Amino acid sequence: MAAIFEAFRFKQKATFMHSLDPRTTFFMAVTFSIIGMLFLQIIPLLLVFLSMVPFILFARSTRQWFKSLQGLAILAGFILIINSFFISFSFAISTVLRLIVLMTAFSLFFLTVHPDDFALALIKMHIPYEFAFAFSMAVRYVPTIATETETIRDAQMSRGLELERGNILQKVRNYIPILIPIIVSSIRRALQVAESLESRAFGSTAKRTSLYDLSLRKRDYAMLLVTTFALIFALFVAFVVRIQFPFLLPDWFFWSLPF
Amino acid sequence: MILFKDVGFEYEPGQPVLQNINLELEPGQVVGLMGENGAGKTTLVKHINGLLKPTTGAVYVNNIDTRDTSTAQLAKTVGFVFQNADHQLFADTLQAEVAFGLRNLGFSKEEVDNRVAQYLELFGLTRYGGQSPFLLSGGERKRLALASVLCVEPKVLILDEPTQAQDALQKAKLLNFIDSFRDPEHILLLVTHDVEFAIRAVDRLIILSNGQLIADGSPNQILSTPRLLDRARLLPPQLTQFAHQMAKQFPQFPTNVTTLDETIEAVNQLLRGRR
Repeated sequence: MAAIFEAFRFKQKATFMHSLDPRTTFFMAVTFSIIGMLFLQIIPLLLVFLSMVPFILFARSTRQWFKSLQGLAILAGFILIINSFFISFSFAISTVLRLIVLMTAFSLFFLTVHPDDFALALIKMHIPYEFAFAFSMAVRYVPTIATETETIRDAQMSRGLELERGNILQKVRNYIPILIPIIVSSIRRALQVAESLESRAFGSTAKRTSLYDLSLRKRDYAMLLVTTFALIFALFVAFVVRIQFPFLLPDWFFWSLPF
Repeated sequence: MILFKDVGFEYEPGQPVLQNINLELEPGQVVGLMGENGAGKTTLVKHINGLLKPTTGAVYVNNIDTRDTSTAQLAKTVGFVFQNADHQLFADTLQAEVAFGLRNLGFSKEEVDNRVAQYLELFGLTRYGGQSPFLLSGGERKRLALASVLCVEPKVLILDEPTQAQDALQKAKLLNFIDSFRDPEHILLLVTHDVEFAIRAVDRLIILSNGQLIADGSPNQILSTPRLLDRARLLPPQLTQFAHQMAKQFPQFPTNVTTLDETIEAVNQLLRGRR
């Protein structure tokens, strides 16, 4: 459960991916997601996935990314079963692949972009400061809440709570003693943070200056260019070739499992 | 009895948090556990109720190996009150909050009702019985958390930082409670940074530093040893600091004092000698 948070726990590293402008990384994540949403065939999705692997390797975040995939395992299993049951196993596999593509795209973003830089990028993209700030705060508190969840679980287990006890309905209810303290303490903290922000004159001036500035460098332009080409190519294949000239596509493109 | 046998623990391979812990806690003792931030205190106590299992070595609680036992099974024997009461309160009413642990451990309905009433009374919370725990003040929430763990009547009780953010009156009440818990059947383990409180509350003090036990003995002896306190990043008790200042002027003044009585005695001796 807590493993899924690993995907969003930023760690500063001196890698190519970390050195990119957050806007570039954001564009890459969105592009990969869009491409992932365009196709529902196993091989194309696998190709999208494989094209992302080098970036994960460049970011030296393989282990964290892998942990996040483990966290996804329950959801993936659920999708696999439901889809196999109602549609087909082949469709279930491609849905899970799509899920993995989306998760990888966004964990690549969150693993390599500092939350503050992301807020800065949002402001650069003319999003009001309050919204950008709220977003960076939300991301900032994910690890805090993950740690807190573990403490709360320990505290309730010490009082004899057994999460695995009972039927499926009972199992869901077993989480209530964990969920309520998380919600209550998050609300308490939100109020405290709001007060402490106000006491430090948050929002007192309309135009805010920032200490650090973002700028796009050559590597950013290079990546943006490559990504744009990839996006155009994928859109072209999905909406022009696949619809108008499907016979141009190789057979493996439509390959699926027979069941 | 609690026995730590050559216990080592690591969260990440190759990064030991606890090393070579050998420790025996006998009933009848109130034991203090102190050490710098990150020394491994909480990690150590989480081994006692099986929240963590040792990477090497073993922990025995009343001869039960914690490696083969779940935390829920150990909850009948070991009570654990966490630092922050807000991390455990969740129920609609105080009564339901206290009943939670009892129900988990399979007490009969009648017994649950009896104990709920008894422990709310004991901690002065009876008049709030039907209210929501979240409407209580900070001190009251802390007491409720204590009541909801104690109602199970565990033989071993672990209190993690119980004096944090408590005023003098609450500390005095806590001290009374600790004294009432001190009997031949019970073990109480107190994790704390509060030196002044530890002197008054504990019979035995253990110092953990960087994952290793560096001292184990009487609070008086340990708290008046500056070298140990330095390693555990603790300040000596004020009276010990006073004694050290006095000894600079009067070499015969003893430096191993920690309590008010000992200090008065030492000052009296000094005055008698000078008369």
